[in-house]
Amino acid sequence: REDSGTRRIKLAHGLATSHPVHQAMVYFGERAELHSKGTLRVEIHPSEQLGTEREAIELLQIGSLGMTKVSASVMESFVPEYGVFSLPYLFRDDRHRAAVLDSEIGSEILQAGRSYGVRGLVYYDAGSRSFYTRDRPIHTPADLIGLKIRTQESPSAIRMVRALGGSATPIAWGELYTALQQGVVDGAENNPPSFYLSRHYEVCKFYSLDEHTAVPDVLLVSTHLWDRLTASEREALQQAALESGQFQRELWASATDEAMRSLEAVGVEILRPGKSLFAASVEPLYEGLSGSPGVARLSERIKAMR
Amino acid sequence: MCQALRRRLDRILESILVILMSGMVLNVLWQITTRYLLGDPSSVTEEIARFGLIWLGMLGASYGFGRKVHLSVGLVDEFLDSRIAKDHPLRIGLELVSLGCVGIFAALILVVGGSNLVSLSSEFNQVSAALGVPLGAVYSVLPISGAIVLFYSGLQAIEISGRWRAWGGEG
Amino acid sequence: MDPLQATLLFSGFAILLALGVPIAVSIGLSALLPLALSLDTDVALTTLAQRMATGLDRFTLLAIPFFILSGQFMNRGGIARRLIDFARALVGMLPGGLAFVNVVSGMLFGAISGSAAAAAAGIGSFMLPRMEEQGYDRNFGAAINIASATTSLIIPPSNILIVYALASGGVSIAALFMAGYLPGLMVGGVLMGVSGVIAFRRGYPVDERVRAGEALRRGVAALPSLFLVVLVIGGIVGGVFTPTEAGAMAVLYSLILSVGIYREVKWRDVPEILVEASVMTSIVMLLIATSMAFSWVLAYERIPEAITEWLLSMGGGRIATLLAINLILLVAGTVLDMTPAVLVFTPMLLPVAVGLGIDPVQFGIIMVLNLCIGLCTPPVGSVLFVGCSVAGTRIGATSYALLPLYAGMIVVLLIETFFGHLWL
Ligand code: NA
Ligand code: NA
Repeated sequence: REDSGTRRIKLAHGLATSHPVHQAMVYFGERAELHSKGTLRVEIHPSEQLGTEREAIELLQIGSLGMTKVSASVMESFVPEYGVFSLPYLFRDDRHRAAVLDSEIGSEILQAGRSYGVRGLVYYDAGSRSFYTRDRPIHTPADLIGLKIRTQESPSAIRMVRALGGSATPIAWGELYTALQQGVVDGAENNPPSFYLSRHYEVCKFYSLDEHTAVPDVLLVSTHLWDRLTASEREALQQAALESGQFQRELWASATDEAMRSLEAVGVEILRPGKSLFAASVEPLYEGLSGSPGVARLSERIKAMR
Repeated sequence: MCQALRRRLDRILESILVILMSGMVLNVLWQITTRYLLGDPSSVTEEIARFGLIWLGMLGASYGFGRKVHLSVGLVDEFLDSRIAKDHPLRIGLELVSLGCVGIFAALILVVGGSNLVSLSSEFNQVSAALGVPLGAVYSVLPISGAIVLFYSGLQAIEISGRWRAWGGEG
Repeated sequence: MDPLQATLLFSGFAILLALGVPIAVSIGLSALLPLALSLDTDVALTTLAQRMATGLDRFTLLAIPFFILSGQFMNRGGIARRLIDFARALVGMLPGGLAFVNVVSGMLFGAISGSAAAAAAGIGSFMLPRMEEQGYDRNFGAAINIASATTSLIIPPSNILIVYALASGGVSIAALFMAGYLPGLMVGGVLMGVSGVIAFRRGYPVDERVRAGEALRRGVAALPSLFLVVLVIGGIVGGVFTPTEAGAMAVLYSLILSVGIYREVKWRDVPEILVEASVMTSIVMLLIATSMAFSWVLAYERIPEAITEWLLSMGGGRIATLLAINLILLVAGTVLDMTPAVLVFTPMLLPVAVGLGIDPVQFGIIMVLNLCIGLCTPPVGSVLFVGCSVAGTRIGATSYALLPLYAGMIVVLLIETFFGHLWL
């Protein structure tokens, strides 16, 4: 609701305030205020204060939260198109990934959320995800057999871990440290900054850089809120989102380098397994896409992109 | 008639609670078995246990309203205890206010809010990650238990107003 | 939220409680009031329903029903009696001996399982009937059980210290765990001291000294029951089971023991025991669901920020500010559940504390000690709820019995605040 001409927008997310993606959202708030000449004010609630990523998306649909930042993986249960990002080895390299996210394909997927009450504004880079484990290093997919691996709350993330031989267990991010420590799961998978900043390395001493997926984060706005904004406010919000996206890529690159150095310094054993066995194990996931032709088409277009 | 219906509902809920509670124990024992004996930990037991707890908690709570087991503070009641009779209209009024609050809570948050939530999840086709069950089905325990609470509260209101009439007749 | 809404919220809550409206309902309706003022009513209702359901959707709650259920079997199946007979042979001659047993088992169980609510449920449901048999006041027993269960959140491993580490963005969890041992043991010691004095002054019965032979006989009789303890604690410490799994194993083992071996429970009694345990569980679950929704509304409306700014703006020196921080946390703990309180207050208070020269690790322990007291206070305190639910006592009377124990816990809190840097 408005008071004295300014509109407060509540943005909730699950990361700690030290995380580079949080800093990008702070920047987003500053830019939105600037571009809207002070009519929009973004209030950030970090650290799952207002719920996990899945719960926050529901609150956008309900209309009590204005915005949130979630992993594209969690979006899949709400908007099927996002499932394409959970396909392993989808991108050839970092440049291919950046090009796809900036392209027509990227914005098509962001738009797809509209009919589900959650409109995407911009992608934030989230690097590549790899396995980290408590007791057993992962050299080949065979090492995953019999291990419980925490996955994001997404069907394709679960299918991927199963295809590699692991046993997938969806658990909210904020509960993961305890789950690892208590042995509810034997390992998890994430990008270097998240592995480092969550301090999961205090429990997991092996990080196997198989880089199976590169699932971006998405900044979402509730259509309840979007529909009430004036045209210039929408433009201001979109512009601020794009600028924060550019800013975030710089932050991310340096955060990744720093996280890898710090992980090595605290004694995490970093493994660099060959990727061919992993890629071969997940091949059936692409063959199984016949059931979801929309995602299959998207993945073909992405693979075909130069 | 109402009492017969009430006993019927009590029995049904008790059976469901027995099934849910023993189901949750068996589910977790199965989780241990798959991990150690079959060497292939199950991916779904965690989600079953979590959803089971939501159902057990909400259904058990609604059954608890029938048995008036929920914790309360009730300073006014304690104050009146030694001063006026249990059947004094003031005490009866207090009980009705409390019952009214329970009814409002059940009707608004559980039934209306819960149904909104169920229809929203169904409209957007949300399914859980591991089991693939519709989240609307998981959330449907909210309006169901709300309706049960309303039923028990209605019966208690009838009972209390009976006492009110009895008091009026004597006085 | 403006001051008017905040006043409405808290006074509405107090009135509902005083009128005798069930606590869970009072919490739920008080959460609705401010939310309906700042959102469309329909949106507010749906949001609260969602927060209630998701408030229960956490795996750390899963151990609670299992430990309540196994507690029921232990009680009715003669397991608890044998364990306590043995414990009495060891410490029954001390004034408050049974209270000591309760505190130590609460600390041990809680330290291992990491869940204060599970500890209060597991220990309380079998200790309290025995304490009452021996002449203890039921409310006093419930109070001891509740207060000692909270030590599990300070003695590692502790979920809440992990939550704090994440919210603070960079405090070492390992360092927090190390710093938790001593204050946790201090709380346990203080609770034993206070309860010993109370038991002595009230003249609670003391056992005669038991001869070594008799103690040995009771120990042997308790062996199958002791194995339950080994199964649960050994299983968790050895990494064989998660706490939830240990709870399910405890149910299985106590069922076999009480139905199959001691035969004090008949098969046909089992459904009734399951219903009883379900009801106890769901009393707690409804309270947790509504308090999670309530805490969410407070965070959403930024009420903690407003109160903190107001208190800290009053100025004062280092000692006054430290006391003000403790006061904020104590007051917040009366109405907020622990996890939301840590998530909300860490970013606000940690910078202030660091500015006063407090180490972030020490501050984590200070915060958790404060909120542990909050877990035992009305109107919102999940361990108080569990403890009263398994004891069958009223919140008011049990809180009254808790007063001397709060005082003991506050003493430890002040020691940690002003001297905690000495044992980092
Ligand atoms: Na602990
Ligand atoms: Na409290």
